[in-house]
Parts: sequence; structure tokens; C-alpha cells
Amino acid sequence: MKAKDLRFKIVDILLILMMTLPIVFGIVLQVITEPPSSGVEITGARIFFTIPMPLQDFPITESQINSLIVMIVLLGFCLYITHGISEKADLKRQHLAEFIVEKVDSLVKENMGDFFASFAPFIISILALSGLSSLLSLFGLYPPTSDINIVGGWAVLVFVLITYYKFKAGPIVYMKSFTQPVALLTPINIISEVATPVSMAFRHYGNVLSGTVISVLLGTALSGLSSMLLGWMPGFLADIPLFQIGIPAVLSIYFDVFSGCLQAFIFAMLTMMYVAGGFPGDEYEKRRAKRLSNKKTIIN
Amino acid sequence: MQSLDVISVNIWQMAASLANLVLLFLIVKKFLYKPVKNMLRQRREAIDRDYSDANEAKEQALSDKAAYEEKLRGAAGEADRIIKTAVDTAASREKEIVDGANERARGIIKRAEADAALEKKRARDDIKREIVEVSTLLSEKMLEREVSADDHKKLIDSFIDNIGGDDEAN
Repeated sequence: MKAKDLRFKIVDILLILMMTLPIVFGIVLQVITEPPSSGVEITGARIFFTIPMPLQDFPITESQINSLIVMIVLLGFCLYITHGISEKADLKRQHLAEFIVEKVDSLVKENMGDFFASFAPFIISILALSGLSSLLSLFGLYPPTSDINIVGGWAVLVFVLITYYKFKAGPIVYMKSFTQPVALLTPINIISEVATPVSMAFRHYGNVLSGTVISVLLGTALSGLSSMLLGWMPGFLADIPLFQIGIPAVLSIYFDVFSGCLQAFIFAMLTMMYVAGGFPGDEYEKRRAKRLSNKKTIIN
Repeated sequence: MQSLDVISVNIWQMAASLANLVLLFLIVKKFLYKPVKNMLRQRREAIDRDYSDANEAKEQALSDKAAYEEKLRGAAGEADRIIKTAVDTAASREKEIVDGANERARGIIKRAEADAALEKKRARDDIKREIVEVSTLLSEKMLEREVSADDHKKLIDSFIDNIGGDDEAN
């Protein structure tokens, strides 16, 4: 029993390290490779190295590395909160695991119906990946969600899912759905279909990036204000960052924590809405019933 | 160090992030969702089992209770019967005892009466003999002579007869 406890604790510690070490690694990498900042510069992710690929080279950037960090942390988190769970619920972390699973389950069922109940893990992963990516900026790391490519990749996946579920009732129903409510609107429908992933990607990316931009602008403005107010004083007194104390932290709460979590939630909600909304449930049922009856006649 | 432009679309980066999301989906499904769902299912099974056990126990208890009530009702009847027989036995024994007592009392009275009668007879005989002796003594004194037994007897008999005759005469 004692040895088992010890082993349990060792695994726990390893999992906690798995959750924290990648972030530490990211911060160290950031500190090592960060060029001396000129303050007002707003750029995309820094490129570590580039892999030559057909069509386009594949730059390994901060956003790729940080995405991997987020994924390793999330893997560690999943393993940690499900480590040692039992039907008796002896551990506190089990309540967290149950809470997450049950909440997302009910959210998915509410918004998508019972047919899409298996979407819950996907929604959890979108929420977690997007949320934690945005929250990385709390550690001073580059948030991958402020890179259009990262969010664009997710949006493409969502678009594939939307189209896949639209195709469930057959290609004819899929084609017909573009001529609704009148045939005249077909080009607009096609545009809106393509616009869905683009708008999702830009919404998320733009919100996170705009937070960064506003933070940088405000930081610069505040430092200018402090030097304007205290610049006439002699010696080091002129360099006191008076307005940079506290005010950026309050802004960070909004732009990093609130906006990041909100955008993750919005992205997940939109995914659910689009996938469930595009799915022609009635036609699918009809088609399946027809198929079943066909099968029956063949068997008979 | 180089950096990307703020907006720069790169299909390989997009593909990588798409793959990341799919990978994370698989991770969440395998390491978070499955264990929790399994655990919830096990818990539900355990709860169902507990409920069915409890129901079984309850039914068992109810049937036991019914059996005990049945037995109790039987016991009440049995007790009534036992009391009744006891009362009957007691009544018959009482009669027997009273009868026996009466019988014995009667016997005792009878014997006492017989004894009394015997005693009376014996007393009369004693008196008679006493009288005879006294009268003999008197006669001897009076006559101053020995009366022969025959004479004596004759005399007494005549005397008694006289007395009896006197009595009869009176």
C-alpha cells in the first residue's frame, strides 16, 4: 500500500512537471532568442528555422513551438486529472474532471442535439487549445492564436466538418441547400459558405492580435506619459516608469484573460452552431430510413 | 532574427495547426473523455447494483415480516387454545377435588357417628356393671351374708325386672 502511494505521488509529480516544464522551456527560449526590443514594433511570430517544402517553405515559428507547448501541457493536464480517478471519487481533481466532461457534454447536447454527442471531446479540445494558447501571453510568450495560420488551420478543420455533415444526406441535398430559399441567392450562399471559416479565423486571430496591439500601444503611450511627467527630474528619477505600474496589468486581465477565454468560447460555440446548423437532419433521417428499407427488401 | 509579417498565410503552418487540433482531439478523447466516461459508467453500475440490492433486501424484509405476522397470528390462536384446555383441565380437576373432599368428609362423619354409637353402648354397659357391683355390695351389706351367685343373679334380675316393670308400669 505504501509503495503504491509513493509511486502514485511520483507519477503525480512527473505529471505536474509535464504541465509546468514546457512553459518554463518556452520562457527560457523566449529570453534567449528575443532580440532587444525597440518597444513599438508589432510583428508576427519569430521564425526559428525554415523547412523547405513544395509550394511554400514551412517556417517553424514561435506559434508552432508554443502550440506544441500548449499541447504537451494539455496532455499532462488530462493525464493528471484522470490519474487515480475511481467511482468512489476520493481525489479532489476527479471533481474537476467530472465537471469539465459533464459541462461540455451538456453544452454540446444543448446546442447540437443528441446526434452530435460524440462532438464533446472535440469541443473540449478546441476550448482548451484556444484558451490556453491565448493565456500563454500571461507568461510573456507569443500567443499562437494571434497567428492567422494557427486559427486558420482550426477554421479549415471546422469547415471540413461542416461540409462532411452537410454531405451526410447525399450530394443532391448538399447542392440543393445552396439554392435555398430562392435559386437567385446561390452565388451569395456559396460566398457565405466560404466566408464561414475565414470569418471564424479572422474573428479569433483579430481579437487576440488586437489585444496585443493595444497593449503595445498603451505601454508605449504610458511610458511616454511617465517620461513627460518625470523627465525633467535629475538622475534615475527621470526613469521611474510611473504609469507602467499596475495599469498594464489591469489591461492584461481584459485582453489576455477575458478576451482569450471569450474568444475560445465563441470559437467553440460557432463550431457547434455551424456544424449542427448545416446538418440536414430530416433529410438524413429520410435517407437512412430509405436505405434501411432497401436493405430489408434485398434481404427478403 | 527574422519574423513573420503580422498577416502572412502559410499553408504548411495551417496544416500543422490543423493536425495539432486533431491530435489534441485524440488526446482529449483517449486520456480525458474515455477514463471519465468509464468511471461514470462504473459508478452508475455500482449505484444500480446498490439499488437492486436494497430493493431485494427490502422485499426479503417484507416477506419475512409477513411470515412473522402469520406466525404471530398462529401463536395467538395457539395461546388461546392452550389457555382454554388449561381452564377446562382446571375445572375438571376442581370438580374432582371437591367431590373427593366431600366424599371423605362424609366418610369421616359416618365413622364419627359409628364411634359415638359404640362409645354410648360401652358407656351403658359400664353403667350397668357399675350398678350391678354397687347393688351387690349394697345387698351384701344389707343382708350381711354371702349371697350365692345364683341367688345374686336371680335377685338382681328380679330387681331389674322390677325396676323395668315399674318403669313399664309408670
